[in-house]
Amino acid sequence: MKKPIIIIVAVVVWIACVIPFAMGTVKVSEGDHDFVVLAVKEDVVKDYNTMPVFEKLADETGLDVYWTFNTSMQYSNNPDPVGINGIDAIYHSGFSNLKLYDYGRRGRIIAIDEYLDSMPKFKEILKARPDIAEALKSPDGHIYSLPRVEEMGLKAYPNILFINKTWIEKLIDNGQMPSSVKLSKKDLTDGLDLSRDEFKAIIQKFNELDMDGDGSTTNEVPLAFVSGNWQGNESDFIASFGVPENKEHKTIVNDKVVFTIEDENWFRAISEMNEWFREGLIRSTSFTQSQDSFLANGQDGRYGAFYWWEKETVVANPDDYIIVQPLKDDDGNRYVGVSNELEIEKGECVILSTCEDPEELLGYFDKFFEPDYSAQLNYGSIESGAFLREEVDDKLIPNDDHGEQSADDFRMKNAPYGVVYLTKDEWANHVQMESRAVLRLERLKLYVKPHSYEGARGIPNLNYTEQELKDLNVHESSLGNNITKWMTNAIIGSSAPTRESWQSFLSQNKTAIEQIKAINQAAYDRYLKALQAEESQ
Amino acid sequence: MRKRKADVNATEIETEATGLPLNNKSRWESWKDNFKRRGWILLFILPAVIYILIFCYIPMYGILVAFQNYIPGDPIIGEGTQWVGWENFKTFFSNPNFLTYFKNTFLLCILGFIVGFPLPIIVALLLNSLRSKKAKKGLQILYYAPHFISLVVMVGMLELIFGSDGLIDQLSIQAGGDVNGLQLFLKPEAFRPLFIFSGNWQDFGWSAIIYLAALSGVDPSLHEAAKVDGASRFKRIFSVDLPAIAPTIVMLMILSVGNLMNCGYEKVLLMQTPGNLETSEILSTYVYTFGLLREQYGVGTAAGLFNSVINVVLLVIANFTSKKLANQSMW
Repeated sequence: MKKPIIIIVAVVVWIACVIPFAMGTVKVSEGDHDFVVLAVKEDVVKDYNTMPVFEKLADETGLDVYWTFNTSMQYSNNPDPVGINGIDAIYHSGFSNLKLYDYGRRGRIIAIDEYLDSMPKFKEILKARPDIAEALKSPDGHIYSLPRVEEMGLKAYPNILFINKTWIEKLIDNGQMPSSVKLSKKDLTDGLDLSRDEFKAIIQKFNELDMDGDGSTTNEVPLAFVSGNWQGNESDFIASFGVPENKEHKTIVNDKVVFTIEDENWFRAISEMNEWFREGLIRSTSFTQSQDSFLANGQDGRYGAFYWWEKETVVANPDDYIIVQPLKDDDGNRYVGVSNELEIEKGECVILSTCEDPEELLGYFDKFFEPDYSAQLNYGSIESGAFLREEVDDKLIPNDDHGEQSADDFRMKNAPYGVVYLTKDEWANHVQMESRAVLRLERLKLYVKPHSYEGARGIPNLNYTEQELKDLNVHESSLGNNITKWMTNAIIGSSAPTRESWQSFLSQNKTAIEQIKAINQAAYDRYLKALQAEESQ
Repeated sequence: MRKRKADVNATEIETEATGLPLNNKSRWESWKDNFKRRGWILLFILPAVIYILIFCYIPMYGILVAFQNYIPGDPIIGEGTQWVGWENFKTFFSNPNFLTYFKNTFLLCILGFIVGFPLPIIVALLLNSLRSKKAKKGLQILYYAPHFISLVVMVGMLELIFGSDGLIDQLSIQAGGDVNGLQLFLKPEAFRPLFIFSGNWQDFGWSAIIYLAALSGVDPSLHEAAKVDGASRFKRIFSVDLPAIAPTIVMLMILSVGNLMNCGYEKVLLMQTPGNLETSEILSTYVYTFGLLREQYGVGTAAGLFNSVINVVLLVIANFTSKKLANQSMW
């Protein structure tokens, strides 16, 4: 009687031991394929193998490419994805500059520039756009990855301030409007013009009163953002004090690399944020929440004002919110920083040196750069209903109407993203931008870009030397951590940060600050020189 | 038959007692004899030996990575290995935050040890002297049940209670405190108490089990004799129970001193917020963020090795001290 039970227990234990190992490895399907590519993909995204755009690619190239997947969690927990047996390339590899160079020069991924003859389109791009060619180069002059190029002009300004119009109307109706703010209902349209003090007076009311009418005065969030996120962060609030702030606190002003944390105005901004925090206008959740929980909380209609680059995804009632122009500083000026987000992204796809026929595989990936494929990779296959094709000049127009599904959801499930090439020329002649993107561009043009800090620009794709890459890696990690630490503690502290603590924070991190500045300055000077040389040719 | 066996046993006992070979047999031969007869008992420790060999000794060659510019896939010894000498250690020690990491690790662990080490001993002594067997069983289950809560759930509970908008914050807001609540999860000064007390709450009952086992071995006649001599319940704990489990306490103390600098980086990482980084950045989180996330395997390994070396030194010191003071040691 006992024996069967023991056997069953033994089997269960054995299975339990083996399952974790089985789960972590990539299952390469049985049968022969020309190539197997590992893609980093979340489970909600459809299987690439069944996506029409890849089926069409297979028909056109005659290559049988099999896609296998890791979620980003599995991928980032695998210390050596390049070592996975039986794969030829990694899509969405996300390799950093240093990693591309390290793996490339040890011959674990191939130098793509040696195979340009089998990539006519990519070769053409590199010729037409020397800046892209330059940006992709590793310290040894080789190109180790396929890029993603999507030039929409959106990423430089990732924050727009929105405010709840109906709540302001409520204040006006009930005569609760602070006396320092002169606003009539007529003024409540996009582009609301407020100084920082006026804005503060309004959201103070949001904080004190029961604005959403649920009987509680404590659950309204006067001003929400996601600290340190690439969009919808606190940077432009800080910038309003007259400092070209961005997420990395590092920018270029009049061709000089600067750290915003060294600016007197930055300290002023942090001190003010501390005051806003102590008054309850800024909540600690803005420093702890993820992008997802920020979006989820927005659906409850409790945000008085928030930073994001569009309101439609954040709140369930977007019509109730209007755009506030960047807040006026005490001197009556408006300032906005420029982000360091790049439109030419390296490391999107790498080919492993174990690939037996890189010419053929790269020929396949070369197709990705063609406008029709780029568009479908970026938005979803034509067959799945991602586009309407315009009769007149054969342009692809993104289809916004997906029935019950939102445009965001549809795109998330149907678009593989990754290696694409969409620049001015493509937007003009082959693909129309999504209407959401067009709207965002319009808003930025009207309300944000005109106030960009004078002479500021984001840090472009720079070429670093091997030593520079190593030094940056060491200094950036410790400095980044220290800034977050000091800044968060200063803002959420129970008393205002002192000038001494700021100065001592700066002097403690002096080496890292100076090193990073010097390295970036040197690389930026080289970049400018190369640009000039190009122009004079 | 029976007689012969008894003879053999007598010989063995004698051998063991004097530690000298009898009947002119050499030491080696007597050992061989012994092994032949009872060697099979060694089979019991074989699985443990294999386990330690595979999971502790064989992977040890990986510490060589601390002296290399390593990326996964490189041979650890062989062609293509890039040796860099002490470079990684230099990078690690020249990190401006190095002293902070070190201080944080040390404080977190030593405070955890000071609170966490005596607690299970006291609990075990108290439980043991309970009169009611039922109460003892019930309390014991109650005490060690939290041990089975997974770490992630545990930190989730802490966040629900002490985090932003958590129970404590809601209560303090309702009671008319600061609009933002206490924000314990964002306060650097709250990190250590939260970490240590939650850890001890979870584990004190579990760690008490080993002491309870040791206490159950105490001869009841000793207690009876003490009672006859008029010792109070309290007195008996100090004079009978405590001396009985002293060897266990010393041994566990040496072991935990040897593990002092490892205080569970998973929980530290889970409890880390931008606000409490000041105290929650420890050596092992540095190994994780710098070594794994930033892919500086060499520097990460160097930092880990540094941590282990400190542990070994502490272990040796603890062992030496206890040998001198209490005549108890591991070797």
